[in-house]
Amino acid sequence: MKEFEPTWLAGQIVDEGVEFTLVELSRTSGASAEEITLWVAEGVFDPKGAGPQEWRFSGASLRRARTAFRLARDFQINAPGIALALDLLDEIDALKTGSRRSPGN
Amino acid sequence: MKYKDYYAILGVERTVTQEEIKRAYRKLARKYHPDVSGHSDAEERFKELGEAYEVLKDPEKRAAYDRLGTQWHSGEDFQPPPNWDEGFEFSGAGDEAGAHADLKDFFEAMFGSTRAAQTRQGPSRATGQDHHAKVLIDIEDTYRGAQRTISLQLPVIDDQGHVSLQLRTLNVSIPKGMRAGQHLRLAGQGGAGVGAGPAGDLYLEIAFRAHPRFRVDGGDVLLDLPVAPWEAALGAHVTVPTPDGLVEMTVPMGSAGGRRLRLKGKGIPGNPPGDLYVILNIVLPPADSEPAKAAYNAMRQAFNFDPRARLYG
Repeated sequence: MKEFEPTWLAGQIVDEGVEFTLVELSRTSGASAEEITLWVAEGVFDPKGAGPQEWRFSGASLRRARTAFRLARDFQINAPGIALALDLLDEIDALKTGSRRSPGN
Repeated sequence: MKYKDYYAILGVERTVTQEEIKRAYRKLARKYHPDVSGHSDAEERFKELGEAYEVLKDPEKRAAYDRLGTQWHSGEDFQPPPNWDEGFEFSGAGDEAGAHADLKDFFEAMFGSTRAAQTRQGPSRATGQDHHAKVLIDIEDTYRGAQRTISLQLPVIDDQGHVSLQLRTLNVSIPKGMRAGQHLRLAGQGGAGVGAGPAGDLYLEIAFRAHPRFRVDGGDVLLDLPVAPWEAALGAHVTVPTPDGLVEMTVPMGSAGGRRLRLKGKGIPGNPPGDLYVILNIVLPPADSEPAKAAYNAMRQAFNFDPRARLYG
């Protein structure tokens, strides 16, 4: 491992254009494929594709998967609990931004 | 090295039961977990909690820790007495602990070897682990792109399975258009591969530093714009700050407070770019002079206005 890279490293933005298979999402998020499958069953993710073999997760899933992984690991939360926690976190985020659009605007 | 008072970190007396230690830890962990906590020092506190709990939840390590005595205070210079871990099965950090004790943190020096990861008996050739880190950038950075030198503490596992933290400095280009919560993938910058296997990737999760004026909602940026009552009522041309510089815009006549005006495409760049929402905040001038009071009086007489008309109905 080099101590110093003289040039500026360019990365790839993991956005909606990036897709993960179940194996890739598991590897990158740290969560097991079994855990992710249970989370999908709870509606935490909505991958394209018919079954686990064909599932394609959007790039935005990575952040949710990371949060789910950490919460499940640190609090021993089961899949329904993870789904609830993520929904509540989304709601808190929305409230903090004041992003609820007032009607008519 | 500095002594750490694990009981104080968990906020419990030294005499509490194992059950109470667990309860105290769980409660504080929920409060300071970086994913759920609003505290700015959550990450640090959570790490400290985990360290304290790892020692105190284990009756044997707790007993060894207790044996160090009660005379120490957090942050005090501390040297472990020789053979302090004698008679315990876990055995502390080993012989080199004393020699390098000053350089290590308290936990590592005292309980170091127990924190080591299990040596993985994996295949002889495998892709290295993906690593993750969080990077804070300013909202302005995502409008222009930015270059950042990032210091990462990456865990490195040696052949014996011991974990140590290695400091690594990376120069990274943050591309234009990154949104909070998105990851930047740096291919091959993660953990070293096993055997001839390729290195893992490094993922940087981007978050925005809190900004005094702008809030971010996905790709949209929100700004509260103070306007005078007459600007809202009669319309006005105003100059509005955006993360990309000043723009001119029109406040339409008859605007109510809280009205959202959209500056299309002035949000975070991208394809499509986000929008900038300007939210009108009507600010009342103080009635602190005779002419000002006269003006408010004139308003009272000019309007047949009851702001509470619908309150009692």
